[in-house]
Amino acid sequence: MRGRHNPSRRRFTTQLALGGLAAGLGLPRPVIAHPNGDHAHDPLPATNQIPGVLSIVGPWELTGLDPSRAGFMFSRMEIAETLFDAADDGSPLPGLAARWTQSADGREWLLQLRPQARFHDGSPVSAADVVHALNLARTKPGILGLVPIERIDAHQDQVRIRLKHAFTALPAALAHSSTQILAPASYDPDGVVRGVIGSGPFRLTHLQPPQRFEVERFAGWDGPPPAIERATYLAVGRGETRALMAESGQADLVFGLDPASLQRLQGHPTLQVESVVIPRTIYLKLNAGHRWLTDPRARQAISLALQRSGIAHAVLRERSLAASQLFPPTLDDWHVPALPPLHHDLAQARQLLRELGWHTDAQGMLFRSDGAQTEVFSLNLRTFPDRPELPIVATAVQEQLRQLGIRVTVSLGNSSDIPAGHRDGSLELALGARNFAVAPDPLLTLMQDFGPSGGDWGAMGWHDPALDATLDALQRTRDASARQHLRTQAAQILHQALPVIPVAWYRHSAALHPRVNSAGLDPLERSYRLSRMQWSR
Amino acid sequence: MNIQGISPVAGVLGRRGLQALLVAALVGTLSFFLMRMLPGDAAYRIAAGRYGYDLVSAAAAEAVRVELGLDQPWYLALVGWWAQLAEFDLGTSLVTGHAIADDIAHQLGHTLLLAFCAMALSLLIGPALGILAGLRPGGAIDRITLLGATVLRAFPPFVLGILLILGLSVHLGYLPAAGHGEATSVVLPALTLALGLAAGSCRIARDAFSQVVNSPYYAFGRTKGLSDRQVLLRHGLRNAAVPIVAYLGMQMVFIIEGVVILETLFAWPGIGHALIHAIFWRDVPMIQGCVLVFALLFVTLNTLVDLACLALDPRRRH
Amino acid sequence: MNPASESSLPAALSIQPKPVRAYFGSRSVGAALLVLVAAFALFGPTLSGSDPVAQDLENFLAAPDAANPLGTDHLGRSMLARLAHAAQLSLWLALLSVASALIPGAALGILAAWRGGWVERVSVVIADSVLALPGLLLVLLLATFAPGAFWPLYLGLSLSFWVEYFRVVRARSHILLASPQIESARLLGFGPLYIVRRHLWPELAPMLGTLMSFSAATAVLAMAALGFVGVGIRPPTPELGVMMIELLPYYQEAPWLIAAPIGLLTLTVLGLALVGRDRSSMQ
Repeated sequence: MRGRHNPSRRRFTTQLALGGLAAGLGLPRPVIAHPNGDHAHDPLPATNQIPGVLSIVGPWELTGLDPSRAGFMFSRMEIAETLFDAADDGSPLPGLAARWTQSADGREWLLQLRPQARFHDGSPVSAADVVHALNLARTKPGILGLVPIERIDAHQDQVRIRLKHAFTALPAALAHSSTQILAPASYDPDGVVRGVIGSGPFRLTHLQPPQRFEVERFAGWDGPPPAIERATYLAVGRGETRALMAESGQADLVFGLDPASLQRLQGHPTLQVESVVIPRTIYLKLNAGHRWLTDPRARQAISLALQRSGIAHAVLRERSLAASQLFPPTLDDWHVPALPPLHHDLAQARQLLRELGWHTDAQGMLFRSDGAQTEVFSLNLRTFPDRPELPIVATAVQEQLRQLGIRVTVSLGNSSDIPAGHRDGSLELALGARNFAVAPDPLLTLMQDFGPSGGDWGAMGWHDPALDATLDALQRTRDASARQHLRTQAAQILHQALPVIPVAWYRHSAALHPRVNSAGLDPLERSYRLSRMQWSR
Repeated sequence: MNIQGISPVAGVLGRRGLQALLVAALVGTLSFFLMRMLPGDAAYRIAAGRYGYDLVSAAAAEAVRVELGLDQPWYLALVGWWAQLAEFDLGTSLVTGHAIADDIAHQLGHTLLLAFCAMALSLLIGPALGILAGLRPGGAIDRITLLGATVLRAFPPFVLGILLILGLSVHLGYLPAAGHGEATSVVLPALTLALGLAAGSCRIARDAFSQVVNSPYYAFGRTKGLSDRQVLLRHGLRNAAVPIVAYLGMQMVFIIEGVVILETLFAWPGIGHALIHAIFWRDVPMIQGCVLVFALLFVTLNTLVDLACLALDPRRRH
Repeated sequence: MNPASESSLPAALSIQPKPVRAYFGSRSVGAALLVLVAAFALFGPTLSGSDPVAQDLENFLAAPDAANPLGTDHLGRSMLARLAHAAQLSLWLALLSVASALIPGAALGILAAWRGGWVERVSVVIADSVLALPGLLLVLLLATFAPGAFWPLYLGLSLSFWVEYFRVVRARSHILLASPQIESARLLGFGPLYIVRRHLWPELAPMLGTLMSFSAATAVLAMAALGFVGVGIRPPTPELGVMMIELLPYYQEAPWLIAAPIGLLTLTVLGLALVGRDRSSMQ
């Protein structure tokens, strides 16, 4: 359709008519020469690919151009850059900013840009451009709202950021995709993004929202030229379809595979499956302001009713993903091995609820009588299918709470149902998967989730001044051992009070076609690492 | 049943025109109530669609609420809704903020391509087999096609689609499994749809043809000394074509419903895919636009079928 | 959504020139299939003895054995119990939506043919406007009001089915009402109820039987299709379409799991279509 034709494809078209017949008769697949010529026994058909164009398939759709909407997609495809980048452990790396200094009081930061950096329209990246992009980003929802910014301006050829008080997580905030730096030509006079002109190694060549876009190597990139010349991204909503696209060899890199498909693809003779545990945790958010859930013992009981190991084993297909605490071991700054692991103990859970006045009826369901009124312990659990494992985990949680005697109805809706229910107070239980490294420093996520008024994806009706003080101290403290102490303290508070109940940690996986050599998956889900991939020979 | 004095063509156009108007009113009204009765907070849904659920916050939702006027009273909204629809203004998507007419115009091309390919494929498969079966009713071909058609029609299209992906794409590797942008991407969804269509048209063609073969004029044609081939072409095909074309009108339901389900399965970026997506996000203007375009498409295609029947069958013109 | 629904329209029936010979004794095959499925739906839940939502996470994707004759699904639930409950749900929906479309549809059809005039014109216009909306679209529109609930499916299907009954009954009643027997019965002063019961109904019933079996098949398939695209009944309620999509990823690990709902759905629809086919050819 797009005018790239090659002999093997044309030959293929002529075979089409015979194809259906052959399939019906169970004939073997025709052997078609691979462009590289060395895949005679390749069980993945070469016919479905376009030579020289890497095809990426994922669940995420392109709902707009603004960095606050779809910036993460342009970051992952390395079209647009942020001032900072992050290492796998979340520590800051240079991005568009080559060097930075901060004042003694930590309130003023000076960032020196990469001198040779150019936007895709050929213009050099100047400090004024960066200031323009950041000031626009501040007007939109995003991570910058958490940063105590006083002023951003250009100081000679440097970007100067003045803060109201010291803020250690600034590099992490400026590594978040909503703070992408786009060329001034990307915006119309009202500040609305009309085109994505970034400064990364790849240039956007074709955009067909919400499903598809294409990129091409940018000749003016100031780093080493990537081996991949062209790539496409296609959003495919259904997990099954994505898995089948990987299996048929149609896509080179497929993200968002459900655990069952992953299991299947791992047994595939030639496909490679890569995976990495990422700082994302599946947890139950609950309304601690709900009269049945206010007492920590009630939350404790729900936590004790969960068979995390069973869920990790049957749904995630990996027992070790059962969460023993909120932070996964990959977040080694925040994971505290000394914490007593969360465990399953139905008897103790029942005992705790008895202490709260709950009794069991003939069917084993819980009820409580307050004088004349009898109430039944039933809760609504909201979740959403964007991540294919969530509805299955929700079904498992529903059944496990039924064993305890709590009737749970599951509402499978839209991801926005959860923040909406948080705000109007109607939410009771919710199952979500929170990425603690949305910005590479989890501190920012914790500030969002467990602040004084709770957070859309975090605590609800729960607040602990001790945690506030700890998070506040973390923003200002630069001493490493003091910081470690504070982090452990925060983890301990969350572990004991259970404002959210961790269920499982998360593994991020992708299926990879053998014609590419991977550069490893990014544990922070920031990049597909296109620029570091190679064609296999 | 034509009223005296009105030409049959004008009758068809008038009836179908009224139908189009009524269905537009029906869809518009339902959509309006849908919008008003959305459970939960529409602003939140929209904000999540825009910013991703990790970034949705109350502030983002509030911004959306003000931007889209979701806080105005219902009667104002109703008047606005009708006025817009009357001007063929489908509004903007609650999720992407794009003009819906633009989005749908783009998707319509994909949907029409898929529907057209499916129709063409089904006409290649169905009537051809049907005619072969109808030439010798009770023969081997007749029995095999009857069995095949019966089983195929009992098979849900999405299951057939999955089986075809597994067979033709995953195991044999002839075709891309899903997606678009490659010339051959359309083949699998079109084939899935076409097989279901052919199962129907094959039997209709078979019945029509066996009737023609047993008719006096057909026998007369043969006694007149025409060859099998000449008789088939001169008398058989034209007479058998009328029920097949009339049946196409009924297959429109199958095509439109099939498109909705199969586009979702195959990640084909047409209106059906957009509709399911919009339902998931409760993007009401988009839902309205998609359903409306589908309904109007359905009426238009049926009008064409009606007119084709008039052209093929002179008896209907009186 | 349903291949069978096309031919449920009267024109398709009238095209068929003469009875299609029942090569496979298809009517009795169809009836036998339906009886089997209905018996499974009716007695299966009791006989399986398992709770369709009870899980055993340590025993998921188990192969069929004595305790679980169809194996267990991805959460260790008994497939037999789930399948039987799903069959029950599908058949219920089919019965309910067909019955609640048939009664008003047929009544309005007779009324329109009997009274003529504006009653007929208005009802024809309403029917035409519903007819311009393929049934699945109507169901999808309604399903948006309450995703995962049963009533939009039921209401949407009933709303799209009644038109067929209305059209068929009205067309046929026009012919019947003009027949000499009914003319004379009317002249003799028999009441409308008597005429409907004695003269109209016996003529209409076989034709309606055909339509009913086709719309029942449509209902079963529509529910599965909606479950498949994620707009239908919610988990953990066992439903055929939802089960298919849930079990699809395991097609290689445990192929019997995905085969079970597909097989059951296909048999149900096949049974309904076969029963309808033969009846129609007897017209």
